[in-house]
This record gives sequence, structure tokens and C-alpha cells, in this order.
Amino acid sequence: MDNTDKKRILISPVTRIEGHAKITIQLNDNGKVENALFHVNEFRGFEKFCEGRMYTEMPIITPRICGICPISHSIASVKACEMIQGIQPTYTGNLLRRLIHLGQNISSHALSFFHLSAPDFLLGYDSDPAVRNILGLAASHKEIAVGGIRLRKFGQEISERITGKKIHISGIAPGGMAYPLTEENRLALLAWIPEALHTVQMGIEIIKKFQEENEEMIASFATSPTLYLGMVGKHGEHEIYDGNLRFIDADGTILQDQLNPAKYLDFIAERSVEWSYLKYPYYKPLGFEKGIYRVGPLARLNVASAMKTPKAQAEFEAFKKINNGKPVHGTFYYHYARLIETLSSVEEAEIILNDSEITSNKIQTHGRWNNSEGIGCSEAPRGTLFHHYITDETGKLTKVNLLIATGQNNPSMNRSITDVAKQYINGNNIQEGMLNRVESAIRCYDPCLSCSTHAMGQMPLVIEFINSEGALINTIERL
Amino acid sequence: MNTIKITINDTVYDIAINTTILEACKEVGIEVLTICHLEGVSNVGACRLCLVEVEGINKLLPACTTKVAANMVIRTQTEKIKKYQRITTELFFAERNHVCSVCVANGKCELQKLGYKVGMDHIRYPYLFPSCEVDTSHAWFVLDHNRCIMCTRCVRTCAEIEGAFNWDVMNRGNQVRIISDFNTPWGQSTTCTSCGKCLHACPTGAIWPKAIVQGQLEKKPEILKELVEKRKMNL
Repeated sequence: MDNTDKKRILISPVTRIEGHAKITIQLNDNGKVENALFHVNEFRGFEKFCEGRMYTEMPIITPRICGICPISHSIASVKACEMIQGIQPTYTGNLLRRLIHLGQNISSHALSFFHLSAPDFLLGYDSDPAVRNILGLAASHKEIAVGGIRLRKFGQEISERITGKKIHISGIAPGGMAYPLTEENRLALLAWIPEALHTVQMGIEIIKKFQEENEEMIASFATSPTLYLGMVGKHGEHEIYDGNLRFIDADGTILQDQLNPAKYLDFIAERSVEWSYLKYPYYKPLGFEKGIYRVGPLARLNVASAMKTPKAQAEFEAFKKINNGKPVHGTFYYHYARLIETLSSVEEAEIILNDSEITSNKIQTHGRWNNSEGIGCSEAPRGTLFHHYITDETGKLTKVNLLIATGQNNPSMNRSITDVAKQYINGNNIQEGMLNRVESAIRCYDPCLSCSTHAMGQMPLVIEFINSEGALINTIERL
Repeated sequence: MNTIKITINDTVYDIAINTTILEACKEVGIEVLTICHLEGVSNVGACRLCLVEVEGINKLLPACTTKVAANMVIRTQTEKIKKYQRITTELFFAERNHVCSVCVANGKCELQKLGYKVGMDHIRYPYLFPSCEVDTSHAWFVLDHNRCIMCTRCVRTCAEIEGAFNWDVMNRGNQVRIISDFNTPWGQSTTCTSCGKCLHACPTGAIWPKAIVQGQLEKKPEILKELVEKRKMNL
């Protein structure tokens, strides 16, 4: 088709996600959606300015990429440092790091569901944008809003009780942890568990009810099949802290299992695109076109054979029934998957807090530079995260590669918004609620653009209709 | 002991002769801000934080290198002095690349404490953002020029306490740098004894041990003075 017949719709910025982005929707001359592009227009440069620093500084520098998932960066980073030193953390050090990581998973998922997404479900996609947020939710559904806010607080309090800080913590050190957990703090955290479980279960009820009431919409909401990548334990169980990787295809067939994350370059490649600072990673053996894969809660539940805890396992079985045991492709189910993971995280946190070694003072082994290369991997709330460092023989970084969850979801996000745009947008006849659904497709992935390229923004939505010659022919604003 | 009478902040004190204003203030419990001063080594008056007003002299004098004189009238807390302390502190931060949040010395840094002390809520001068080397060549320690404030405490400690003379200073103005030997990588120094005294002397995160991360840094500058005192005892 001749380009002159096309029009573009621009959604900028996309709101209620972490960071700034815009969406361009390309229309053909019949007013039908032809393609949609997700642009990330931020640039951070961490990979470049970390060059020249000592590798041991990375567990403190890289968490500054993001205030939502700093622990995952710290964990991936410290594992890379441990590979460079050739050491393993102590049992208690490892347990404390796992606990802090679970806390972050709880707080990040609570933020994504209760603060950012629940207003859509409880107030409606077409409700007044001025109240379709956590404050509007607090006015109409106080228990849910307060529960969500407190669940996030619980997640952050785990970090605070161990390290003294809620967000950008220090103390995650090669070989373990710098700070122990006191008995007083252990008991204080344990006291949170019943309330946290109740709030997560409340969230699960909300999402299940919404799924039942909107079965038709969800069944057709950005359902393009993709491959999936996620971390699993030794027996294929769900894992977010430490394990190997599993790729499955769209039918659920395991393509590769128990992959050592340190060999990620053997199975993941990246390509740059001209319209975004986000790269396009893909599953190397299948190439750029067929190798699109997704990461994050939906992917982790799709690749996992089981959950590690009983309540989460029961929900996992219900999740698996959605597509008769096959992978669930509906992007909307990211929310359900996220809540199942939150439930699992609260249950696992309780198990760890009851471990007799959790308050031990044997929290760190010590090492020194031994290898010039280190690769660390963790499951961040938004998906699999890789840190790859190369150093000179003194420990100074000469190359840094950070493969971020949102980057890996980038090709799928484009595909999802194209699906949704095709379904909901028809030429110039665009209503606010429809465009919000396009944004909503992005929000399902809970993208963290800060991580992948970063800034938090809550700005008015402006949609511009631009013809192929660049002239503005119409504007819709959401103030 | 021969003493003289001096006035500090409107109070008269008997102070021993040959005492510096800084020592006199410490003796009578008056706080004077310093950062290049280190107990156990000589004073050089480099940081200009300890400037005081002396009646009859129309310029500020560094308390660490100025000795008391009979009937001297000294003021340490005037608005002018506070203004200069704030300016000096801001210039420290503007000159190189101090990022407390990711610094190994965060929470343990004398420069950071100084910033709080003078009420530095912002910096009025443009950051220079110089390109500074991080010397990781030593087996145990790192020298990060980004965080160095040129107090020269490491230089004086190495020369006067360890006697190794590994550290020195080269260049002038904002190009000034601490160097090891004749500007060789620290790890290749033929004079460094790897004693680690410079680590304890350093007031910021410019010199730190490779084995630790943020939250684990322990600097004990007081042990340097103890060493000097023990040597004097000739045990």
C-alpha cells in the first residue's frame, strides 16, 4: 500500500506505567489499523557510564536504575560479582536475599495491581479518567485501596527490617548479606503475613470476578501466541530468585530446559530498531521473526510445572485450566498471574521467616577477583533480568550488558497493542475508553521503561492524528 | 606551662603558647569545622573550612595553621564565616563527581557529614563533571579520583606516619591530582607498603578496600593519632 494513503494516531505519553512512552497507530486509507508501534523515548546509559567502575560497586549502582525493582538488579548484579569471585553465598545470606527479593516482588506486584490496574477493573475502562486512579479507588473501594497500599508497605518493610532502608537498600554483598535479621524484626514481619494473605486473596477475587464478567473481551484481548521464558527450579517449579531457565513454545512444548543463565547469549540475541531506545531481543534458535518471547508473571506461570506453596498451587491449577493446560496467551491474564505470584511470595516469605537459620550471623563469605567475566540472573517482577560484566584483571569494568525484562517483552507489547488497536479503533472514530484499552494492553506487561533504557510521569494523554506527510489533522486530549 | 590570654567568641581563656587556634578551640570545647586536618599529622590549611576572624586582621585566617598570640580576639561563628564554610563545601561537591547514593562511603563520609552540617540543601555552582580515573590497580584498595577533595591527608599520613612517601600531588588548579610514586598506577608502586593507613586517613570514598560494599566501610582515622602517640612512648 502506498504510504500516502496512511494516517498515524499518536498516543503520548502512555500513562500509569513506570516511565515515558508513546504509541503510534498507523491507519490505512480505509481507516483500519495497519500497525502499532510502542516507542520508548528515554535514554539512561547505565551500560556505558558504569564502564571504568569496580565490579563490586554494581550491586549498589544498578539498583538506581529503578525504584520499583531495585532488589532484582542488586540480586542479578551480586550474582555476577560472585561469578567473578568464584564464591557462593552463605545459607543465611542467601536466605535473607531471597526474602528481600520476595518482599520486592510483593510490593511491586501490589503497586501494579492495586495502584495502577485495579482502577480499570473496579471503576471501568470508560469511567472518568480524573478518578480512574488509586485515589478514586480509595473513595469508592476503601478496603481494597488501603489493603493494596499496606501490602506494598509490607513488601518494603521486609527490606527495611533487614537493611534499614525500604527502597534503595545497601548490604546485598558478594558472598551474602552485610546485615543480619534480628529476632525482633523476624517476629514483626511474621505478624504481617495474615493481613498480606487476606489482601492478595481479595485481589484474586477481584480479578477472577472481572475475568468472569468480561470473558468475551479477555478472550480476544491481545491473545497472539508467543514463546515464553522463565526461571524454574530443579524440578520445573516456579522460581524467581535462583534457578535455571526454561523456554516453551506457544503450545507448551519445552524447547530448552534447565538452561544455565550464564549462557544466555547462546539462546538470546538482540536487535535495535529505529523507532525506540528499547532493543528487540528474540529467541536465537528461531530467529527474529519467529523468536518473539515473553517474560514476566504470565511467562513464569506458563513455563512452571508447579508452584512451591499450597495456596498458590491451588490458584495455579485454576490458571492452568484457562487454556486446558496449554500456555495462556491472553495478555490480560498477566494480572491474574501477577496475583498468584504475589500469593506465592507471601507464603514463601512466611516459610523463610520460620527457618531456624534466618537470624544466624553467618551471613557472608568473602572472595576477591578471580575471573574477568560474571553473569547474574534473577526474575524481576516484570521478567527475567540478566547482568553481564567483563572486567580487566584489576576488577575494573570494561563492558556491561544489562538485559532487562521490559526489553524482552518489547516485541510482544508491539504485537499486543496492534491486536487491541485493530479490535477497538476504527478510523477517526476514536473514543477515550478505546484508547485506554490500547494503553491497557501495555500496562498488562507492567513495563518498567526506567529499567529498560528511565522517569515516572503522570501526564495528560494527547492523541494526534497525523497524515503521511506529517500534518496534524486532528487532536484528542485527555486532561 | 607558659600561657597567654586570648578571647574566643567573647570569652577569655588562658592558652599555652605555640598552640594553634584550632587546638585552642578544641581545648575549650568550641567546634571548628575542618576536613583536611587530621590528628597525628601536620596541618597544611588546605581546605579553608577552619577560617576564623581575628580582630585587627582584615582577612580570615585558617585556625589549623595560625598560632595564638597574646590578647588575640577570635570569632569562629560569625555569619561571614558560616557563609564561607557553605561556599567551600559547595565547591567541594561541584569540583568532581560526588554521588553519595552509590558511593561506598555513603553514611560514613566526612564530606557528606559536612554538607549536612553547613545546611547544604543545593549547590549554587555549576558542576565541572571532570573525567577522572578510577585506579583499581592495587590488589586490595581502590583510589577513585572522582571522590577526592585534595585534602592531602593520605599524602601526609603516608609520609609522616608510614614513612613510605608513596603519595604526592601533581598539577595545579582543578587539574590537581593525587599521584602514586611518579604518577604510576598504585598497584605498580615501589614505595607503597600496602599498610592501608591512607584508607583510614581519607575522609571520603576516594580510597576504599576492594573487599567491601556500601554499608561495610569502616574508617578509623583516630588510630593514626594513636600510632603516633604510641611511638612517642618509645615502647
